[in-house]
Amino acid sequence: MPPFESNHQQPQNKPFKQRKSFATRKQEVAGIKSKFPNKIPVIIERYEREKFLPPLDKTKFLVPHELTMTQFVTIIRNRMALLPTQAFYLLINNKGLGSMSLTMAQVYKEQQDEDGFLYMTYASQEMFGH
Amino acid sequence: MNSVSPSTAYYTRGVMQDELVEKGRQQAMERQGSCNRVPPQASESRKEAAEEPDEMDKLKAKLMSAWNNVKYGWTVKSKTFFNKISPVTVLGHQYLLNSEDEVERFRLAFVSRIWLTYRREFPQLEGSTWTTDCGWGCMLRSGQMLLAQGLLVHLMPRDWIWPDAHQFTDVDFEVFRPRSPARAGGVPIPTFGSPRGSNNPEKTIPNDQVLKCSQKKRPEYARDRQAEQVHHRLVTWFEDHPPAPFGIHQLVDIGKASGKKAGDWYGPSVVAHILRKAVAKTSALHNLAVYVAQDCTVYKEDVVRLCDLPLSQTSSDGSSQAWKSVIILVPVRLGGETLNPSYIECIKNLLKLECCIGIIGGKPKHSLYFVGFQDEQLLYLDPHYCQPVVDATQGSFSLESFHCSSPKKMPFNRMDPSCTIGFYSKNKKDFESLCSAVNVALSSSEEKYPIFSLVEGKSQDYGLEGHSSSSSHSGSSEAHILPQSRVSTSNNRRNSDEFVFL
Repeated sequence: MPPFESNHQQPQNKPFKQRKSFATRKQEVAGIKSKFPNKIPVIIERYEREKFLPPLDKTKFLVPHELTMTQFVTIIRNRMALLPTQAFYLLINNKGLGSMSLTMAQVYKEQQDEDGFLYMTYASQEMFGH
Repeated sequence: MNSVSPSTAYYTRGVMQDELVEKGRQQAMERQGSCNRVPPQASESRKEAAEEPDEMDKLKAKLMSAWNNVKYGWTVKSKTFFNKISPVTVLGHQYLLNSEDEVERFRLAFVSRIWLTYRREFPQLEGSTWTTDCGWGCMLRSGQMLLAQGLLVHLMPRDWIWPDAHQFTDVDFEVFRPRSPARAGGVPIPTFGSPRGSNNPEKTIPNDQVLKCSQKKRPEYARDRQAEQVHHRLVTWFEDHPPAPFGIHQLVDIGKASGKKAGDWYGPSVVAHILRKAVAKTSALHNLAVYVAQDCTVYKEDVVRLCDLPLSQTSSDGSSQAWKSVIILVPVRLGGETLNPSYIECIKNLLKLECCIGIIGGKPKHSLYFVGFQDEQLLYLDPHYCQPVVDATQGSFSLESFHCSSPKKMPFNRMDPSCTIGFYSKNKKDFESLCSAVNVALSSSEEKYPIFSLVEGKSQDYGLEGHSSSSSHSGSSEAHILPQSRVSTSNNRRNSDEFVFL
């Protein structure tokens, strides 16, 4: 798979957190939660230096509580049409890997941001050559 | 064979040594100026090249490899200091370097690992002009070293050591902690750092040690003819020669299926899959499989299915091998831009396991094979040294350039977060104990969740089949169906701000 040259296509949007104020984000979560109490609001963004994985067309996801991380990753992988052997990692809060057997509700409970969103970054692996 | 001596040959990019290396490189360039300067006739060929892009590429490749040969062939002496008061771990074994005996055991453990480096002047890689992997193949070399370690534990007697292991070079042992400014406290032991070539280990042991050591060590040095042959054979599998099952030619060829070609940079996950395919493909090994974890999860039942041979498939010599040995590779990403420090403890605990065969990763852009650690520093084998190719078809080729006598260290915090962790289990019972040992090590992570998980069942059990609410979104129910919304088709800002329902 050739590297995905996104840099030349369109300028990367600013991260979600920088696009919207804390108050707006918090309000948004409150609004969506009142409408869909059984869903978890998740923000998924591409790692800023990612060179191989394509950008996602959407960043905001409403995810059922009982969905496992494995299933969630599979859905995102499918949206990008990745092969099973292609490296794909979801980093929670841009630093730690999530445990695949957990449900989204468990991850949300432990890792949600103060604004009420759960933030994840996706990345492949770095390449080495010299 | 001094030209291949790693003693003087390390190209180390330590923070402290950058300046030194830079200086040295300049000197090297001056010395070997002809390699770098464009030769007179090159300007002519450049004109031609404008019309013939192939020629241009060839010339470029030639200049690049000439440059890389200088760059990675350059030698810089840098001492590695080992602390005498905290143990050094090498692939599941610990050594407290406060006695000659322990240092000796450490030396044998380290130098017996197979060291695979950049090579030059090998047969051209098919479909390219490359005859060297200097400057691009380091991750493949690290992968080879990881596989070679797996093969050593698979084929050699337990705790095998290479009787001809060289003396350490460029190594010092100090009493104080490594970062201590009191370098003066370092006590160099005269036996180490002796010039390479004096391969007789006993020759360098001080007199008062000889009696004590010789009795204990004699059995270790007893030559095992069979092991020696296997050792040789194992190294030939990594020869830089098209038919060698794990040579650079095969690996590059297999990598083509993943969109890689000669001259490209490789990642630890891609290499894991290349190794898996290479082992599956070769007829040299029929009792070994490689399992590569996906999404940081090892599905035990999938491993079992890979290893559990049907009774009909017993090996040709009649011995019923009902269980294949397995190398388990787990590609991970331990942070965004830098290594998440809360994983360090867990990495240490994994390297302490006897079933661990090391980690391929590196510093950013610079691949290394990690085999252990001491305090806050990883111990590694470095492929960044360009050696001339060795013709292993000659029955009695020298193994010297396939072993490294200067251990190197780097701080954990410089480790690139992308890596692949390797394990080996010989049989079913071994696999069970691997699972429990790895689980214990994984639970030591200070991070909320483990680096990866070992779970019961097979990957299909965890798929989306049982998940009904995903049906509303096209393409999310089956792994191989292309999603309707092929990514990056939507440039609609407004749209991208809507929630997607899963």
